[in-house]
Amino acid sequence: MTPSLREVVAKYRWTFSGMVAWALQRVTGVLLLFYLFLHVHTISKLSQGPAAFNEAIATFSSPFFKCLEIGLLGVVVLHASNGIRITLLDLGLGGGRQRQLFWTLTVGLGLAVFLAGAIPMFLFAVLGAG
Amino acid sequence: MALDERMTVLDALIRVQREADGSIGFRCSCRVGMCGTCAAHVNRIPRLLCSTLVKTLDSDVVTVEPLPHYPVIKDLAVSLAPFFAQWRRARPAFRPTRADAPTLAVIGKDSTFRQLTATKRDCITCGACYAACSITGMNARYLGPAAINKALLRILDPRDAAGADRRKVLDHSDGVWRCHTQFNCTAVCPRHIDLTDSIVRLKRALVRPGKALTV
Repeated sequence: MTPSLREVVAKYRWTFSGMVAWALQRVTGVLLLFYLFLHVHTISKLSQGPAAFNEAIATFSSPFFKCLEIGLLGVVVLHASNGIRITLLDLGLGGGRQRQLFWTLTVGLGLAVFLAGAIPMFLFAVLGAG
Repeated sequence: MALDERMTVLDALIRVQREADGSIGFRCSCRVGMCGTCAAHVNRIPRLLCSTLVKTLDSDVVTVEPLPHYPVIKDLAVSLAPFFAQWRRARPAFRPTRADAPTLAVIGKDSTFRQLTATKRDCITCGACYAACSITGMNARYLGPAAINKALLRILDPRDAAGADRRKVLDHSDGVWRCHTQFNCTAVCPRHIDLTDSIVRLKRALVRPGKALTV
């Protein structure tokens, strides 16, 4: 029998939050890998001269890509904040509180840092305020 | 089926067996959570049937399935052969430093070893950690949390002489390094042993061989 959404959330919100953190780290890691390929591809345009590089960069100045940049910030912050959590646990500094670390450090601090960067990016880069 | 207020999942299964279907197969023994015989998947979480009150599941339907990562013998009864194959690889038996000692070595209740391992010794080999671990599901050669925790206890024991042999098994791609720190084993352990912590401590000890292993 398929479990209800409420049961799944209850199971993974706390009991298996370590598994959720692991899955998020893998997903964000793969996304960052894709981004790195795109980044290297864009930088490689420099070898074809300033015009080719400027053309490639111009592609990313559309509002769509600015929104993707905000997403990229979220992926980087999530990967980094969970990476700090894993490092603390590997160093034995978690004190048996990996779930609390996930919700406070990975999610809480990660969300705060993301919003601190995403709101100005949205206002200035996407809406063109100021 | 009518449920009583303090009914466990095991009680419910026994009632089903007596009143509805006598052919249902499952295992149980002590009924007080100390033998580790009755572990099964209850609402997709490995638990001891005898220690899980139905009312605490907060679910209208209780789904009971055999533990994953084990061959099923019948209905809910699984073979723990994969679990104990890895358990043996970790060399769980005590190997004394002085086999010819005239008296038994005593580990006093106030000894450092006892203090350090107080939260690590209660494994009842129920196999729930092995079932919850996603790595054992993907790689049958992985030692698994319980075997690694047992090896840690032996390595920490000042009377034991087989630490070097155990370190060889642990310091391997199918040993502690296969653990991805998902904490599933710790989440389901009915004895509340922080198994992931044991694995992480062994990882640190293996990369710092000169340092004393502590818990």
